[in-house]
Amino acid sequence: MSVAERSLSRRDLFRTLGVATGGITLGRWLGPRAVMGQEPVPAKAIETFTGPGANSHWNSVGPYVAEPQKVPLILLTDRPIQLETPRHYFRTTFTPNEAFYVRWHLPGIPNAVDLEAWKLRIEGSVNKPLALGLPELIQKFTPVSLAAVNQCSGNSRSRMQPRVPGGQWGNGAMGNAVWTGVRLRELLDMAGVKRGALQVQFQGLDTGPGPSGLGSNLFLKSIELGNPILDECVVAYLMNGEPLPMLNGFPVRLVVPGYFATYWIKCLTWIRVLNTPDDNFWMKVGYRVPDTPRGDTTPEDVKAGKVKTVPIERLPVRSFLISPDGASKIPVGMSIKLRGIAFSGFGRVNRVDVSDDAGNTWHAAELGEDLGAYSFRTWELSWVPRSPGLHTLAVRATDERGNKQLDEPVWNAGGYLWNKIERQEIVVGNAS
Amino acid sequence: MKNRCPAIFLVVSSVVVLVVVVYADVKKGYYHPAELGSVRQAAPGELSPDSNYQVSAYLVPGTDLVPGDGSQEVGIYCNACHSTSYITMQPPLPAATWEAEVNKMKGTFGAAIPDDSTKKIILYLQAHYTTENRKP
Repeated sequence: MSVAERSLSRRDLFRTLGVATGGITLGRWLGPRAVMGQEPVPAKAIETFTGPGANSHWNSVGPYVAEPQKVPLILLTDRPIQLETPRHYFRTTFTPNEAFYVRWHLPGIPNAVDLEAWKLRIEGSVNKPLALGLPELIQKFTPVSLAAVNQCSGNSRSRMQPRVPGGQWGNGAMGNAVWTGVRLRELLDMAGVKRGALQVQFQGLDTGPGPSGLGSNLFLKSIELGNPILDECVVAYLMNGEPLPMLNGFPVRLVVPGYFATYWIKCLTWIRVLNTPDDNFWMKVGYRVPDTPRGDTTPEDVKAGKVKTVPIERLPVRSFLISPDGASKIPVGMSIKLRGIAFSGFGRVNRVDVSDDAGNTWHAAELGEDLGAYSFRTWELSWVPRSPGLHTLAVRATDERGNKQLDEPVWNAGGYLWNKIERQEIVVGNAS
Repeated sequence: MKNRCPAIFLVVSSVVVLVVVVYADVKKGYYHPAELGSVRQAAPGELSPDSNYQVSAYLVPGTDLVPGDGSQEVGIYCNACHSTSYITMQPPLPAATWEAEVNKMKGTFGAAIPDDSTKKIILYLQAHYTTENRKP
């Protein structure tokens, strides 16, 4: 047999082989194997809790759960329900309703609302108590729409050191939506607030099994009648142009622009004008913050009883890098887009700076469309990593009032008001 | 004729290799999405055009508490107002914080827990959910 014949028959053999194994097996041992690198590492589940150190993940660590009208969200607790929005849903200015985070205080939350029976009541110290059905709210008043961020007071609580008890949120207890409904002021004017009244109290349909008069029975929030924020409040029946999901407060929800979500009563059913200050648990004890800059204090001062508190109000300025999220390596020298969001409850964000050297130097990002003072504002910036290795990106927002995010942490016993500059580690790989 | 033996050998061995490769892929766990938390989609609900706006029941996934003395009391009294995921969600907390939490549930929120059960609940939480003893 000649050399040529020999090699030919060998080629035939390989052809047979190739057919027999679908060409896959050989491929693994020949050229492509080197290109495709080593065997994949099996995926690992995330830890089931974090602490005593700070939660190092962007979100909290719970499992994904799909509640009614919701895509799978991160479960904090199931009764009352608390669900966190995963990071990637913040790529857009408006957070989809089905991905919007959920936080209830009491276990008795509605599964159903009969709109024939349901009425929004305006009562208490008013000249003419009202009971308005949804059709009246829609038809009798000129609808108003505004974009506003809804953020839980305890968003990012799992960052605090030392850790504090409470919902161990990552950064996803927030969302932005266009809220459409009736101005609260019009409802109050129609009912006629009596002279000498002090506060207006809001109550939803949620209830708890606790004794009457305690915080475990009803969730109630109040705002001073002299507070100008009341002119900006909206009783919303639309969220991003759709009815609200039941878990976000169908049929109507109070929108308090720039204020923390604790005031945004879901399934709002009673608007009650009060003659005396509201001293229920959720005003007098819960949702209070130290009367200090940034609401910051120390465990020692709390223990010593030195901390004077006030009800929590506006959202401090914050910004986030949404992508890249650090889950993937970035080849060195490749120009990529850094994208994120920013907001402030004190005025529109007019500057976002990004650092790729852990906060030593800052570069102004390009801001997205201005959708109003209370909306998320998107930002982006092109970035070319120049060397392989670990890079730390940091993002810092400034609002029109000059409030700027700081690099110092916040601590208070409630785990509220976290707004430290966010960081994200990015692994840059060799490209050759 | 001479060439047939190695041919058969190669075909047989390649089949063996293929089986091994497929088996190895299965062993990697690629075909066990349940381990990574796959969630079945809910079927669309039936809707009627009346005035009642209803969603299906909210889920109660249940929580794995560490077994131990006092876990039964936790199941009875804590569960009355909230699921025990409120416990497992917490970071490891100092023993004094757990005591304060249980006392807050009684004093501030009016949880009707008999004194001996209160003590048992506090001891249980302190035995399993502090920095010193919480297990992953």
